[in-house]
Amino acid sequence: MRVEYINPFVEAAYSILKEVTHGEVNRGELYLKSTSMPVLGVAAIIGLAGDVEGRVLLDMTKDTAIKVASSMLEGMEMEPITQLNEMGKASITELANMITGQAVTKLHNLGFKFDLTPPAIFTGDNMEIADTGVEALIVPMELEHGKIEINVAIRERS
Amino acid sequence: MSSKAEVMNTKQSRLKTKQRNGSKAEEVETVDYKMVTFTLGGKDYAVDILKVKEIAKFAGFTYVPNTPAYVAGVFNLRGEIISIIDLRIMFGLPVEKRPEGEPERGLILRLNDMLIGVIVDSIDRVVGINSSRIQPPHPIFGDINIKYISGVVDKDDRLYIILDVERIFGRESQEAEEQKRLTLEGQLGAAAAASGAPAVGAGMQPGAGEQRGEPGTEDASAAGTAASAEELEAAQDQFELDLTFIKEALASYEQFHAGALNADWITTRYEQWRSERKAAQRPVQFESGDDALEFLRGFYSRDSGRFWGPEQVELFREVLPERLRNTITVWNPGAGKGFESYSLACLLKKAYPDSTLKIWASDNDLLSISTAPNLVFREDDLPSFYREFTVEGSNGYSFAGMIKDSVFFEYHDITHANAVPEMDIIVARDLLSFLSPEQQATVLNEFYEKLLDHGLLILGDNETGLDDRRWQRVQGARIAAFQKK
Repeated sequence: MRVEYINPFVEAAYSILKEVTHGEVNRGELYLKSTSMPVLGVAAIIGLAGDVEGRVLLDMTKDTAIKVASSMLEGMEMEPITQLNEMGKASITELANMITGQAVTKLHNLGFKFDLTPPAIFTGDNMEIADTGVEALIVPMELEHGKIEINVAIRERS
Repeated sequence: MSSKAEVMNTKQSRLKTKQRNGSKAEEVETVDYKMVTFTLGGKDYAVDILKVKEIAKFAGFTYVPNTPAYVAGVFNLRGEIISIIDLRIMFGLPVEKRPEGEPERGLILRLNDMLIGVIVDSIDRVVGINSSRIQPPHPIFGDINIKYISGVVDKDDRLYIILDVERIFGRESQEAEEQKRLTLEGQLGAAAAASGAPAVGAGMQPGAGEQRGEPGTEDASAAGTAASAEELEAAQDQFELDLTFIKEALASYEQFHAGALNADWITTRYEQWRSERKAAQRPVQFESGDDALEFLRGFYSRDSGRFWGPEQVELFREVLPERLRNTITVWNPGAGKGFESYSLACLLKKAYPDSTLKIWASDNDLLSISTAPNLVFREDDLPSFYREFTVEGSNGYSFAGMIKDSVFFEYHDITHANAVPEMDIIVARDLLSFLSPEQQATVLNEFYEKLLDHGLLILGDNETGLDDRRWQRVQGARIAAFQKK
């Protein structure tokens, strides 16, 4: 993945997560992965198109998703949730949208043109994701609610 | 008389009916275990048919000295060298001497991807039984150690002893493997050794002795593929052994893998190292990671980790073709901080001013590669060759947009999928030697796939051992430049 793309995603993830959870956020070591990898339980995915092709995946456990969604809802003076209901899923989807949107805006200012696809959310146990032909950059974020992995796979259109 | 005969007949026919009924009952019983039966010292034995590759006759195999008596020798099975074990001698059973010239009967067993031949008195047939009828061995079967017997089964009034071949050859095959490994490592030029080494019996010194039986063409090829006695002796020499340890230490300290790729350099360097260490009165083996670093110091290519100087630029220009496409694509994995990639960009821009240049530069070290796109340097760090491509900024000098825009720096692991287009040139100096042999093979294959026909591959100055079926050294090149065949 191009070096220029890395920071916008890391910065956007950090600032958005800090903003919505109102708590400590710690960034773990970035690393690359190309084999298929397990998905923790709740995964929001947004496709990227334009000068590049790829996708951003936000991955967390169900428990973390409920807690993060709750603190997002509370921030808007709404009832917290105890189960991953429609409201919860919508909140996580929105979180993915916010992070990717901010990253893409930063990239746009650097001169890279990215388009986004509408986000989708997957939930379930024992899920796996495999990208053949493109490696993924993993940005692990530690929150007080648990771990969120931002998994970015982008390649140049050639 | 007649009545007596009648009675006899009735009796016989009744007996026959009984027998038929009996065998019918057996037929109804499902067959879920098939075994090949044979005799050893006049008794019936069997092995699981799934372990049997084929039934064979062994003639004219090569005797191997210095092995246990039950090792009859090695045999060339259609090009594959397998060891032959005489089960009768192994179990101390009487051996019936065959008439001169008559082939030995035997089985070829497949054990954990290894083939081994066993000699028996004679092969009987294939018998199908139901595995529930296999009974555990009784301790009084004295001929063969009970631990080698997996069970006994009765079929058509014959008692078959089922041998546990994994047990019998398991430990031995491990030893053979171990010895094979040592022998292989001890020999110089791993690539050459790997193709010539026999599959099983390397530890048994194949082909080193006289031949037994009628020498046929197969024998000749068996002896030909095996190493000679002198070579084996040399491999066991202290010199070789030390080198093996040094290679292992390089792999663990520095992830440097010695192999065919850098074989020339490592041999020369090792000789030099020995005399250096002798002079300093220190042991040949590394005492710490610093020694490994010291050993490798001369390995790195000219101008690695900085801008290429005039001499390196000249050496590189020598191997460039006169013309290239309008859009020149270059792949530069292992780019580090980007000095090499920028050097390439500038010199290619000068060499082909009318072409568009695209360089994919990657590294799996995030810190190094992150600084590459905005590399800033002082004027005196830069050879004058590059001056025309730089601009002065507030923090120092950097490259002009024309150069910067032609290089894509990527955070990327070369052993993962490489999403790059077809390349005119690949520059990967001192990269492959730091990958495991398997990764080296994969990445080299990837280079081959991604290069255009007659594309150029540049490796490290000391990485010259490439497969000459796929790569051709560029004529007159003074750097490690290869062309795709």
